[in-house]
Parts: sequence; C-alpha cells; structure tokens
Amino acid sequence: MRFALPQLIRHDYEGFEALTRLYAHAKDYHLENIEIDLERTRWFDADMCAVFGAILYSLGDNLNTVALVNVLPDVERILSKNGFLSHYGKVNIPDSWETAISYQRFDVTDDRFFSGYIETEFIHRNKLPEMSMGLMKKFRESIFEIFSNAVLHSSTRMGIFSCGQLFPKQSKIDFTVADLGVGIRQNVSEYLEDEISAEQAIIWATEKTNTTKEGPVPGGLGLKLLGEFIDLNGGCLQIASDDGYWRRSNKSSSSLALEYPFPGTVVNIEINTADTLSYILSTDWDVDDIF
Amino acid sequence: MQKDTKISVYEVVGSPLCVASNDGQKVHDRLAVALKKARRVVLSFHNVSTMTSAFLNAAIGQLYGTFAEEQIRSQLKVEDIEPQDAALLKRVVDTAKLYFQDRQRFDQAVREVMEDDDDDDA
Repeated sequence: MRFALPQLIRHDYEGFEALTRLYAHAKDYHLENIEIDLERTRWFDADMCAVFGAILYSLGDNLNTVALVNVLPDVERILSKNGFLSHYGKVNIPDSWETAISYQRFDVTDDRFFSGYIETEFIHRNKLPEMSMGLMKKFRESIFEIFSNAVLHSSTRMGIFSCGQLFPKQSKIDFTVADLGVGIRQNVSEYLEDEISAEQAIIWATEKTNTTKEGPVPGGLGLKLLGEFIDLNGGCLQIASDDGYWRRSNKSSSSLALEYPFPGTVVNIEINTADTLSYILSTDWDVDDIF
Repeated sequence: MQKDTKISVYEVVGSPLCVASNDGQKVHDRLAVALKKARRVVLSFHNVSTMTSAFLNAAIGQLYGTFAEEQIRSQLKVEDIEPQDAALLKRVVDTAKLYFQDRQRFDQAVREVMEDDDDDDA
C-alpha cells in the first residue's frame, strides 16, 4: 500500500485534513507494508510530527510495517533534527541551530519522564528565544496543562506524542501534543448523555468551567487557562479531536468539521516570545483569603 | 497550644515541577489527615517552580468535597507561594467550590428521583 502526502503539512486545518485522510485510508489495514510517499511534500511543520507520529504508531499497532519514502532533503533535515525519522530507520542529525524540540512518545504514567523532557528542552537548553521569566513560566505551565489533560481525559492505551520547534527570528515557539485516546466528543457526549458533534464538544469543553470530570477531584480549568494565556500573549491555540477542529487566536474562536476524524485529541500551542507581559496578575485579595 | 503542622509541597512531590494529578493526591492525603485531626496546617510552596490546575485540583480542590469551606479557611494557610501561583490556586479553589456546589445539586436531584420512585412503588 502506498499513500502520498500533499505539498505542505502545516499546523493548520489543511495540515490536519491531510494527516487524518492518511489515517482514514490506512486504519483498517493489518499486517501490511505501508509506504508513505513524501515526494511532493516540500514543507512539514516540525511540531506536526506529534500528529504524524501518533497516526503512524496507530498503524504500527495493527502490525503494519510503515516506511517513509522519497523524503525530500529539506523535509528530511527537519524530521531528522527532531529525531522523528530515527523511528523509521533513519539516523538523527545534529541540530546545529538548536531550534528543534525533540519528538517523543509517552505513556500516561510517564509524567516524570515528561517533566524531564520539558526541563531538558526548555530549562536547561543553551539557546532559547529571548523571553521574559514570567512568559517562560506561563508557557511551561501551559505545556504541562496540555499533557495533564491528555493523561486525565484520553484513557489512551497507545500513548501521548509531542514535538515542537523554536523560531527565534520570528519570535515564536510551536508545540504540539497528540494522544490516541477516546477524544473530546465521546467524553462530552457521555457526560451530557447527548450525542453531539466533535466541533460542539470542543466548544463546550473550552467554555466557562465546563468539565466532564466526575468524582472527588474537580476539573474544568485547564483549557480555559490555555485560552486566557493565548489571548494575553497574542499566540494561537488549536485543537483537533475526532472530526472537530477548533482554533483560537486574536481573542476569537472558530471551528470546522474535519472530513476524516483524528483517533484522539491534538492540542497545538503557538506563543509569541516577544511578548513582554509579566503575567503576574494584580489581585484584589490577600494570600490569606485564598480559601 | 499546638504548633502548626508544616507540609512542604517540594518535599512531598520531590521535584520543583508540581504538575501531575497523582503528585497532587499525595499532598492531599497528608492535608486531609491533618484537617481531620483538627490541626492547623501551613502548606509551603518553597522551591516549587511550576504548578498546574490538575495538580492543585487533586492537592487542594478536592478538599472542598470532604471539608467545609469554613474549616479549610480556618485551618489551612499557604506560604512561600509566588503571586502567579497564588492566582492559579485561587482560581482552582473558586472552581472547586462551584464544582462541589453543582455536585451537591446533582446528588440532590438523584436523591429526589429515587425518592419519587420509592413513592411510586409504595
């Protein structure tokens, strides 16, 4: 079996469409040799390796042998620097610009391993785009919120995938987390006891203090905090889950249906590193009044 | 007079990154024992660099499902917490109060339905 990817894989609606189309066409194969042809692919946003990797892992779970063929040199360089192609028989190449954030897969129990990964990539790194301490702290928190959401809500057996890229000249960082879990639509539909679309489910999950959490530990803040941060920072937040796609930027949200579903949930965050806000909120309450 | 019980989040978690729900559960379990024994607790965030709402919901938010707001307010204090983290904790606490209010409403509704069923059966 051979599947071709299009010219551009960017972290946008079309990028998600391209990768979910591949999944839709290949998901029912078992014990096959599957070749992904990248001959036409001239650009691949590095952080989308989290989505691509999740899909290929899922195909591998059906005991298919997956190979990436005809990878153009520029794309091969991007996908080798972050370690993605080493999962498919190629070798890593040094990241001389130190702008790659490595591709990794985690199990839901790997929270310490994930913390170490974030420390390595964002705390102990030699080169980072210049950014305020407050912004760096807020960004790290946001990444952990995304990972925690995947751990708490996805019920994934196959794992959580992450990857990112620094763009020092453009003053931005992209980071994507993808899980192969049940997806937001199923969680919200079961909670509301009403079959709703994936788009509606994402909108519901990002509004007010809505949460599908039940039991002794409350929830309902993670996605709201992410949206508020992105509004202040001027970045962008995207969620793809099942066949729903949602995007927030410039303090405005939009959503669309994907033609083919993603088998889990993807959260992509892009931050503006030139932002000089302190992120220390002024408060009208004393620390003794928290409770 | 009894001395306050001091709990160090950093010591319990063993890391400055307090991000996982199961680490929050460890903090909660210690807090719950102290509150049940009517002890005043000082929760120290010294050396903690990063927290998430998932961690704080497990550590502190779920206390509101077991203890009265007044009891938590009178027995629990925090110290060495950065303003940004205090703001996050306040959000978590306010959201937890709403969550358990809703759950009480939900439980009440379920009880009423079950009582109606019992009446119908009678």
